[in-house]
Amino acid sequence: MTAARRGAVALALVAAVGVAAVSGARLSRLVAERPGEELLYLPNGEQLRILSLGHASLLADAIYLWAIQYYSNYEGADRGRYVEHVFRGVITELDPHYIDAYWLGALILIVEFGEIDAGLGLLDKGIERNPERWILPYLAAWESHHAGRFAQAEGYFRRAAALPDAPPVVRRAQAGMRTKAGDLDGALALWRQIADDPRSDAGSVAVARRQLAQLDARLELERLERAVERFRAEHGRHPGGLGELGTVAGVRLAGGSYAYDAKTGKITRRSARRVVAGD
Amino acid sequence: MRGPTIGPPPPAAPPARPASGPAGAATAADPVLLLRRLRKGFKGHLGLGHRQALESLDLELRRGECFGLLGPNGAGKTTTLKLVIGLLRPDAGEVRLFGRSPADARTRARIGYLPENPYFYDHLTAEEFLDFYGRLRGLAAAERRTRSARALRRVGLEGRGRVALRKLSKGTIQRVGLAQAIQHDPELLILDEPMSGLDPIGRREVRDLILEFRAAGGTVLFSSHILQDAEMICDRVAILDRGCLRSAGRLDELVSSRIEGYEVTLRSAHPATLPGTVVARDGEHCLVRVADLQELGRLLAAATEERGEVTSIWPKRRTLEDLFLREIGRPPEERR
Amino acid sequence: MSGEVAAPPSPLAAIRAIALNTFREAIRDRILYLLLAFALGVIAVSRLLSLLTVGSEEKIIKDVGLSAISLFGVLTTVFVGTSLVFKEVERRTIYTLLANPVARWQFIGGKFAGLLAVLALNLGLMSAVLGAVLLLRDESPWPLVPAIALILVELAVIAAFALLFSSLTNPILAALGTFAVYVAGHLSWSLRLLADKVGSGLGAVLCEGLYRVLPNFDYLDLKASAVHGLPRPPGLVPAAAAYGLAYAFVVLVVACFAFQRRDFK
Repeated sequence: MTAARRGAVALALVAAVGVAAVSGARLSRLVAERPGEELLYLPNGEQLRILSLGHASLLADAIYLWAIQYYSNYEGADRGRYVEHVFRGVITELDPHYIDAYWLGALILIVEFGEIDAGLGLLDKGIERNPERWILPYLAAWESHHAGRFAQAEGYFRRAAALPDAPPVVRRAQAGMRTKAGDLDGALALWRQIADDPRSDAGSVAVARRQLAQLDARLELERLERAVERFRAEHGRHPGGLGELGTVAGVRLAGGSYAYDAKTGKITRRSARRVVAGD
Repeated sequence: MRGPTIGPPPPAAPPARPASGPAGAATAADPVLLLRRLRKGFKGHLGLGHRQALESLDLELRRGECFGLLGPNGAGKTTTLKLVIGLLRPDAGEVRLFGRSPADARTRARIGYLPENPYFYDHLTAEEFLDFYGRLRGLAAAERRTRSARALRRVGLEGRGRVALRKLSKGTIQRVGLAQAIQHDPELLILDEPMSGLDPIGRREVRDLILEFRAAGGTVLFSSHILQDAEMICDRVAILDRGCLRSAGRLDELVSSRIEGYEVTLRSAHPATLPGTVVARDGEHCLVRVADLQELGRLLAAATEERGEVTSIWPKRRTLEDLFLREIGRPPEERR
Repeated sequence: MSGEVAAPPSPLAAIRAIALNTFREAIRDRILYLLLAFALGVIAVSRLLSLLTVGSEEKIIKDVGLSAISLFGVLTTVFVGTSLVFKEVERRTIYTLLANPVARWQFIGGKFAGLLAVLALNLGLMSAVLGAVLLLRDESPWPLVPAIALILVELAVIAAFALLFSSLTNPILAALGTFAVYVAGHLSWSLRLLADKVGSGLGAVLCEGLYRVLPNFDYLDLKASAVHGLPRPPGLVPAAAAYGLAYAFVVLVVACFAFQRRDFK
């Protein structure tokens, strides 16, 4: 080969490499700009199940592993678009019993992208397909709680607690959630149930008793406050002392337990209680 | 020429064979093999075309004889043998082997078969292979051992039983094949081109084995396109050509040892004037055929007279080859 | 030269002899070791893969393990099984073999038994490795046993088809046919769905008919329930095994018929 021809071949090679490099870089940038696009082509779970020829579970694993890597990578503007499709429409369709997928998908939806309803919906699907697993309603309950939806959380906890192998903490959490939701009577009833249930473990009973005492005290305080209000309404002034309230139904005026300010009509509990962890 | 015998020493004359199988199925007088109006055709490649391999073959094989099925390649010899074994099913006609169909497994227990260019399992040794076949023949373990050893000894492979078959030469494989054919002392040996590919020593050994087998009372049916071998050992022959039976009968009837003339090669200036028939010429050398001793004498006298040189004199006998060449190539309608 | 020496062996003895020979021949097939090495490699890799996951690592290992056992089992069945009969015919070892007092159906039966033995051995090795990997992680492998048992039944069905095709045609076509059966068997449940969607008419009849004829490998697939430890209706495993073995038997009978009528040119 002559020198001229060799030079021409070398030049062509360099040019080809250059074109490949430049276009490759361009392509990766383009893909990064529209990251969700590749997910558009992910068929839904039903179709993939057919294609998997009996290895649907393995395919679910593979896509799950891919999703973990994909969503761990914080670049890419539009990565949130197809999360629900990936987890709800594909992975959990391929393997409806893939608990990790429901949980992780919900986590990503709620924590990363703030999609509470979508996340809870995914967990709902998991609960529906795996009714015997307590962990999914348990996780759903905590997510509801974080979102401030206490009543919903209580519902999930109730559901989890109803399952035979649910640990004792679930019932306690349910009772606690009732309190947070404002249903004090209901919470009282549940704590009483836990305390009186012969099957409850010692720790739960202890916590239940403490909670009952706390709730009792709280309810008592509320009744006292209501009595003070009624007095004021009747007599146009705050009572001078708690003794003036007379017999107020159900209130044990253990002297000294309450501090009463006659000017404002405020009642506070006097005894300082140590807060015990786990209540 | 005879090696050690396989079973009990051969009696002076072939014994009257006892009736075998259910009463009435076969007696000593019944033919071992009977082919009646046997027809077989094959479809060509991809189902196109048709090749008639056998046209209405009739054949009978009697106990204790050595029968040679002769013919050129493609005559239908292998097809015939496969029909006898049951590897092929006839289009028409029937095969009666010991009075029964070859599809009957019990019948096949009485035969030993060696195909042309046999090939056996690479991964086995000769011993393992014979053990395998011994099982297929319903032999008990101890019997398998003794019979296999005996068979290997008989074919000259004593001590080589432990070598893997893939390491053996073609001739040795042929011997292993013979060993498996005789392992179970069959009544009938069916051999397809048993001599092909063997050197002269190998061929003689096979011939010896066949003769010995027959002497012990067995029957042999073999196919060949090598006529000398057939001439040496067969009692009866049949000549096949293009699926038709051209000629069949006792060898000594078809072929005679009578001298039917002489072929003389000599050098002569005037071959046209010589007595006898000039068969071939090459310049001054020629080959002349004469009918008898008298004509031979006249030819030699004439040659001496003109100072011609006689190179050789061959007595001509009617050989199988002559018969063969005469029958082969005849149009299909003519049948003997 | 008594002629009374050889006699047809008992069917079981004949099948055993042919099976043993088939087994020894198949064991030497190099493709076997290639596939086995791949399978073991995959199971080893699954350990690494599981490190990438968030959540249950054992699920990944079990899924990969079971799928590898199944897939490599199928590949072994196809590659070894489809050449079984063909090789004997091609090399003409079958001529002398069938000249013996052995029935043709015993030949097919022996080939099947030998092939199944090889597959069972393969399966056993792969399962042992998977079991060891799981035991090392304090995870019990025993719930996987019913799934693996049914994988073997599935392989038996595929092996029967492989033998059928191998006795009819050359290895390439036989392999394609067997793969087609494998795919169709895994899609047959969707034929049912398709039949429902199509509604009525020729299409539905066709789908329904195909569904009934093709083997339904979905019945033999316990992988999901084994990995997740889901409860199964009692009697499911024996029923599935019976289904698969009965199906294999029918296919073998067809293969025997086809083989019986065959001419060996």
